[in-house]
Amino acid sequence: MAEEDLIICRCEEVSLNEILAAIQEGARTINEVKRRTRAGMGLCQGKTCRRLVTQILARQTGQPMGDILPSTFRPPVRPIALGILSSVEGEEEDDVP
Amino acid sequence: MFPDVVIIGGGIVGCSCAYYLSREGVKVHLVERGSIASGTSGACEGNILQWDKQPGIELKLGIASAFLWETLAEELPLDIEYVKKGSILVAENQEGLDSAGQIVKSLQNEGVPCQLATREDLLELEPNLAPDITGGAIFPEDAQVQPMLATIALGQAAKDQGAVIHTFTEVKNIELSPERSVVAVNTTAGRIPTRAIVNAAGVWSNAIGKMVDLDIPVLPRKGHIVVTEPVANIVNCKMMEAGYTQAVESDERGLAIAAVVEHTLSGNILLGSSREFVGFDRSVNPDVIRAIVARALRFFPALKNIHAIRTYAGLRPYTPDHRPIIAEADTVKGFYVATGHEGAGICLGPITGKLIAQMLTGQATDLPIEQLSLSRFDD
Repeated sequence: MAEEDLIICRCEEVSLNEILAAIQEGARTINEVKRRTRAGMGLCQGKTCRRLVTQILARQTGQPMGDILPSTFRPPVRPIALGILSSVEGEEEDDVP
Repeated sequence: MFPDVVIIGGGIVGCSCAYYLSREGVKVHLVERGSIASGTSGACEGNILQWDKQPGIELKLGIASAFLWETLAEELPLDIEYVKKGSILVAENQEGLDSAGQIVKSLQNEGVPCQLATREDLLELEPNLAPDITGGAIFPEDAQVQPMLATIALGQAAKDQGAVIHTFTEVKNIELSPERSVVAVNTTAGRIPTRAIVNAAGVWSNAIGKMVDLDIPVLPRKGHIVVTEPVANIVNCKMMEAGYTQAVESDERGLAIAAVVEHTLSGNILLGSSREFVGFDRSVNPDVIRAIVARALRFFPALKNIHAIRTYAGLRPYTPDHRPIIAEADTVKGFYVATGHEGAGICLGPITGKLIAQMLTGQATDLPIEQLSLSRFDD
């Protein structure tokens, strides 16, 4: 398998090739790569691919990794069933033993 | 060389303007504070609806823009996930059914194909719909796109036609001549001399207007969306609750919620919708999320075991009469305004871009634009 066919975002099955193409079209941040390719939009919400995408962006654009803007973090932290989500109570942390 | 026009804002409206202007051979620069589709156009659903438009100019804009989207889906350099899958409006009581009936009648008067539907008709289209609904209506012409890809594709096509796009570039101020004509835009990336500006800054268009002493009455109105994991077709059409337009058209300062449930080509289901005036705060409110999910489960109980993976909130550019502003300002020569589409920006983006291009190049406009003027808000 050629390096370009490597899957970077496993949830959305986005290959290195697709990420390189997004950078080629002008993407410079993780969010821009995400909007074009869906990398980071899957079940794990980028937990797996975020660092890889940052590394690829750094390598391709010559920026230090620390200068690349982080992606937006969206709640919930983990997938939650809608039936549970609609019935959980508000913040009543005082009740927790 | 100097551009003919500087567009402020890289959302669906700004990118549509860039596309239609550059197609006319106009030299365009687009200035965006963040990246393309990083504001409202990246935090919405991508609906191209007819049924939620008021008869008159609003519906005419909707019909014209839906037609443009059909062509754009073929022409644009990216797959924008255009699907003409139709909407259903679902009522849970007689009052909702009556309002659906009025909408069908007014759309049919304008020649838009649509029909009333019985409970059985709707359950046949959507077998997972709650069986205790009253009835509703079917709007087969309604469509959707993936809004971020659509915005990016319009921007990319504009670039291919010669437009220059400056991302991560903020407008600092606008220079006018003593006669109040546009002279230049000063940005964090330098001064750009130009004779025309298009203010397509969406919820920030009021701030841009203030730079030339214009009061553009656009307010941010927040909407939350829930995204589920990808699933097989639990939902086929775009389902909206009768009462949605009342929620959108109400000027209540408080929270208005109406169920919107739709399946995207990627397999995720999107749940909406909420409207509230809370300034520029884009943070997710868990109480609003719970209310949206509860309303979606009322119509699609089968969703209860499906997982939410992401939630977000976007700000919709609201105007007091729910119509966009597509106009040249009376008091500043060369200053054009294309904003205030609230939740209809994706739908109306292309016709807005086309009208702005026609106005700037001195052509007759496809639709009468008097009712879209900025001066309609003058006292």
